[in-house]
Amino acid sequence: MTLRPGSGRGWVAVLSWLAALALGAIVIAHTRFSADLTAFLPAAPDARQRALVEQLKSGIAARTLLIAIRGGEPAQRAAASRALADRLRADPAFEQVLNGDFSAFAAIGRWVFDRRYLLSPAVDARRFSVEGLREAIDDTLSLLGTPAGALVKPVLERDPTGEAQRIAESALSGGGPRTQDGIWISRDGQLALLMTQSHAEGSDLDAQAQTLVTLRAAFATVATSGLDLQVSGAPKFAVDSRAQIQAETRALALTGTVLMGGLLLITFASLRALAAAMVPVATGIVAGVASVSLVFGSVHGATLGFGTTLIGEAVDYAIYYLIQARGRTGDAPAQGWRRWVQQSWPTVRLGVLTSICGFLALAFSGFPGLAQLGVFSIAGLIAAALTTRHVLPVFMPDGTRGMGLRRQLGHGAAWLVRTLPRVRHGITALGIASLAFLLWRHDTLWQTELSSLSPVSGEALALDTRLRDELLAGDERTMVAVSGHDVQEVLQRVEVVSARLDALVQSGQLLGYEAITRWLPSLATQQRRRDALPDAATLSARLGEATAGGSLRAARLAPFVQAVQQARDAPPITPESLAGTPIAPLAAALLVRSSDGTNIALLPVVRAPGPVGDSAPAAIGQALRGIDAAQAFNVGDELRSLYLHYIREAQGQALLGAAGVVLLMALWLRSLPRLLAVCKPLLLAVLMTMAAFAAADVPLGILHLVGLLLVVAVGSNYSLFLDWLRHQGAPDEDTLASLLLANLTIVLSFGLIAASAIPALAAIGRVVAPGAMLALLLSAAYAAPTGPLAVRSS
Amino acid sequence: MPAPDRRRVCIGALALLTATRAVAAFGFDELMTLLSQRKSGEARFSEERAVSGLDQPLRYTGTMSFKAPDRLERQTLTPRRESFIVDGNQLTLQRGERVRYLTLDSVPELAAMVTALRGTLSGDGSALRHHFKATVDGAAARWTLTLVPLDLRLLGVVRLLRIDGMQSDVRVVELQLADGDRSVTTIEPLAPKARSATP
Repeated sequence: MTLRPGSGRGWVAVLSWLAALALGAIVIAHTRFSADLTAFLPAAPDARQRALVEQLKSGIAARTLLIAIRGGEPAQRAAASRALADRLRADPAFEQVLNGDFSAFAAIGRWVFDRRYLLSPAVDARRFSVEGLREAIDDTLSLLGTPAGALVKPVLERDPTGEAQRIAESALSGGGPRTQDGIWISRDGQLALLMTQSHAEGSDLDAQAQTLVTLRAAFATVATSGLDLQVSGAPKFAVDSRAQIQAETRALALTGTVLMGGLLLITFASLRALAAAMVPVATGIVAGVASVSLVFGSVHGATLGFGTTLIGEAVDYAIYYLIQARGRTGDAPAQGWRRWVQQSWPTVRLGVLTSICGFLALAFSGFPGLAQLGVFSIAGLIAAALTTRHVLPVFMPDGTRGMGLRRQLGHGAAWLVRTLPRVRHGITALGIASLAFLLWRHDTLWQTELSSLSPVSGEALALDTRLRDELLAGDERTMVAVSGHDVQEVLQRVEVVSARLDALVQSGQLLGYEAITRWLPSLATQQRRRDALPDAATLSARLGEATAGGSLRAARLAPFVQAVQQARDAPPITPESLAGTPIAPLAAALLVRSSDGTNIALLPVVRAPGPVGDSAPAAIGQALRGIDAAQAFNVGDELRSLYLHYIREAQGQALLGAAGVVLLMALWLRSLPRLLAVCKPLLLAVLMTMAAFAAADVPLGILHLVGLLLVVAVGSNYSLFLDWLRHQGAPDEDTLASLLLANLTIVLSFGLIAASAIPALAAIGRVVAPGAMLALLLSAAYAAPTGPLAVRSS
Repeated sequence: MPAPDRRRVCIGALALLTATRAVAAFGFDELMTLLSQRKSGEARFSEERAVSGLDQPLRYTGTMSFKAPDRLERQTLTPRRESFIVDGNQLTLQRGERVRYLTLDSVPELAAMVTALRGTLSGDGSALRHHFKATVDGAAARWTLTLVPLDLRLLGVVRLLRIDGMQSDVRVVELQLADGDRSVTTIEPLAPKARSATP
């Protein structure tokens, strides 16, 4: 380095910059990068929604794969389904593999049968009276001599009252997939269906990716020709989107850098200038990643994706510096930077502050993903601006000398500044028309679906919906959540709720529901059932009376009397005693402990098909009235309302951010007319962009809002610069060229993002590319209130 | 050459005769055509089950009704009230106060057994043949339809079903289970006006 602005101070700046970079690199080296989709789920406000988000993050749904085998003949599919299930059941990665073949459930059956007198809902004092015994035995006998008798006959002497039958009856929802040849198939018969649950948590994406690989490999070994595997479910989506985000981020960063590099190279015709322009960008990215890692403990893959959009704004600072600091004829060498720091830096600094204002709103967002984006952008912009201010002058004290297309850019910009003000009235009219249009369309302006944030393609969602309909009766999304402080309190409440839901099952509105208390009744209920069991002598006497004159002799029922005696002395079933039993996975899905220590039982509900079932949600709400700890919700509706809540919050934050921007500019400009002149083009650019979206019938989501915020942040630079130039008297072509070039790089990089296959990224790109261009054009249009400016040639 | 000609005529006549005999014979398709003419019916039934290990047979009585194409109802009146209603793919079971709703196609064994009855009553030959090997003996006036399950799983439980009938009336349904238990249901049609077929 031959030129050292500020002598020693310059080197201090460079050394601190290098130290900061090194620190950042160390932090990044220890950073955990995550990619779970739930980062873009809100950190829910109330307990029920927390349970829901918790469930989506780590619940059974996050570990469940829905699988279809397609093609070939039905017999081929059935054979493949059986072979695949056998293979997967032998694999320790899978906790549960369901394909309709319930022979695999013998272990659960045995567990339940051994505890039938504690588990059967029918056990009460009346059941063991003479009359109750007679009825129960008659009911059991009525199954004999029918095909169902094959199940009852072998256990007739041990379970003549049919308690195992009763438990099974209450547990089976009566719906379920279509079954043929002992395996699940689709209603149209064209698919064999399976469902798996992994041992690994849904958030452990590496393990989930491995599970998918295992599944495909297992299928490859069992599949005959013509068969084809289709997989869906939350883990599949998460793994796919991680791969997609990684690939896209890499591609976007690469093409973005190459394109921008090309553009800068053409403009500056200097490799050195190009390298200098990349310094603030790279520093910004390092600072952004390191800050997010420090604040949040991990960095989401999508944050990196969005972060590449930062290149667009950070490179602007370098462009402003490189062009505007160019030494003028008559200047002493190596003094260009001094002039820049004096003249342009205050404006750039203000631009940085306004951008930070905008992103600050994001940093406080309830969406962890958006909050990360906010922190990333703030840290990145500050780092980029500081690097431009303090480091670039050391290496490039006179900006860049290369001319390239700068002259043409300057002429073009000057032409715009001369011409656009003439059509100013037309632009104002267009702005007012946009506002009117937006007011007219205000009902349909905003998105209400959370799925708009999801990177899952429509095709994949369609497959998911189809498999869900087949496998889960289409309605596993309606649930009742029951919460309580300790497990026994929750279990007792679930029993109260179950009694009310039973009434809905009896009336046919529900096909059934799942409840933890089928397998783990409260201790109180277990005690009540135990108390209902008579001693051996009493039971024998009652049995003699109950079976008198009947088809089944009491003498044959000694095993029954013995089983009842055993049950009287058996230890109770506790959550702890479930560990390691075949029932444990089921219990884990139905009873969850949320992160704040409350216990929550989930009761998934299966509605009856048709119009009867449609009234079920209302009926459930009615049935639960008065039980505060229990709430019914539809997962889809709940997510929608969460999203609405957050889009409203984000709107508020965006407005707050915008107000902050205006306040900052007001403080700086200290003149109302100038403030209005600066704000007007920004406001109009936002209105026109929104109107364009409304006209194209594209509802705006949270990410569009982020895009608009970026438009304001970036646009405020243009409008402040043009305002400053206007008050300078005459703008020079170099400054104008730097604005136009900065704008081109933004439009280019966001245009690239607009074409991304990740909907969330594309949304931001589609707003920022046209919005930023409008912001520059409109700023130019309003830059000269009184006639065309006399442009000073450099 | 008259001799070969005469022989040809003889053979031709014989072939014609066999053909007409075949058309006139009463087979599965003819039975199905006959049965499909009936659109609804009501009957009283009594069922007797012989179950090994029990001291005496189990006896049930009640009413049955059928409405084409796919509604079947069985109301047991003695010894205890119980109902079994199939409508399309929906099955409703009621015993005492308790009601259960099931989708038929999720319990394939049950679906096959329902098809045996419903398919016979409505004359749905293709549904019967989907689940069973069907053979017919006798004539329209008095016929026997024997159904043997095709599904091996079901065959492990149900050995066969034998259905006796007169014209379009089903009279006796005999169920033989694989373990030797047997159920015989005798059906007494009610309300002749409910029939739409020719007498």
